[in-house]
Amino acid sequence: MEALAAAAEAFIGLFIAGGEVFAGLVTGIVPLLIVLMTAINALIALIGPERIDRVAEAAAGTKWYHYPLRYIVLPFLAVFFLTNPMAYTLGRFLPERFKPAFYDSAVSYVHPPLGLFPHINPAEIFVWLGIAEGIRTLGLPLGDLAIRYALVGLVVIFIRGIVTEIMSGIMWARAEAAEAEAAEEGGA
Amino acid sequence: MEKINRFLERVGRGVGGVVGALFEAGRESTEQILRNIIPFMAFIAMVIGIINASGIGDIIAQWLAPLAGTLPGLVVMSLIVALPVLSPLLGPGAVIAAVVGTLLGVEIGRGTIPPQFSLPALFAINPQVGCDFIPVGLALGEAEPETVEIGVPAVLFSRMITGPLAVIIAWLASFGLYTG
Repeated sequence: MEALAAAAEAFIGLFIAGGEVFAGLVTGIVPLLIVLMTAINALIALIGPERIDRVAEAAAGTKWYHYPLRYIVLPFLAVFFLTNPMAYTLGRFLPERFKPAFYDSAVSYVHPPLGLFPHINPAEIFVWLGIAEGIRTLGLPLGDLAIRYALVGLVVIFIRGIVTEIMSGIMWARAEAAEAEAAEEGGA
Repeated sequence: MEKINRFLERVGRGVGGVVGALFEAGRESTEQILRNIIPFMAFIAMVIGIINASGIGDIIAQWLAPLAGTLPGLVVMSLIVALPVLSPLLGPGAVIAAVVGTLLGVEIGRGTIPPQFSLPALFAINPQVGCDFIPVGLALGEAEPETVEIGVPAVLFSRMITGPLAVIIAWLASFGLYTG
């Protein structure tokens, strides 16, 4: 009987611990999230997200300054104003050959700013919060990590955009070569 | 009298618009919290609770700490997750990234993994981001079918390079983080 009682207590203990974690999350983070997301959502509604269409149109060129515009500025504005998944609709202003690279760059920036702007992707906030919880448990401030995550994210999406643009360029050339070869064989 | 009335009407309408936008923003954020964040919190809290109270944490620490507590370990982790056969399977809802992140967070909280590794770890758990969503994402950008055909492998293969690279960049950027 005693063993059974001890087992029951151990079993409930698992969920008491879980409940404490849950209470900590709800009182520690939810109030901040509600107020912060309300403020940013209101800001976006008042500014009007359709304004960044013009940035997208300007990012389609091939000069050197178009690269940071297309793979840093545009993805940032896209995820900030349109959030996941509507951010990817801005690809429609770019030529076909840049679309995969822009998608790669934009989708890679739906998590890095979550420590600062949780409205971007609230459903996936635990990609950030899981690790951030560990830092919070240690009693260390989160600001430093949040800002570094967001900044390193910008560097990473810039590189990712360029690498994917090159990669899709190679694949396009290969597909065209294969097509030409097939046409030649068909002709002979 | 009519002028005053018209003025009052305009002010009222302006204020009403702003207040409406603010209220709508509040509704949107509370809905997001209730519908998306709190259910996930419940799930994560259960996982953390079980890990901490049952002693599974010690077992996880044994194989996770050497992988996540060193730079080569994190690079290996990102390489595995970025494999083009795995990344589209691991992507959906970012659930895998969130769960692995939570496991790492627990170990950081227990002191098994040093806190400065949190930054490279954030990138190591996530090289597969959006890999499940490429055709839909491209379709949202009104891409041609041919672009989708090229874009899917292009993004997947590019992640093999940029996934581990992101971890190394994040590691370089983590100097001075939580060490002072």
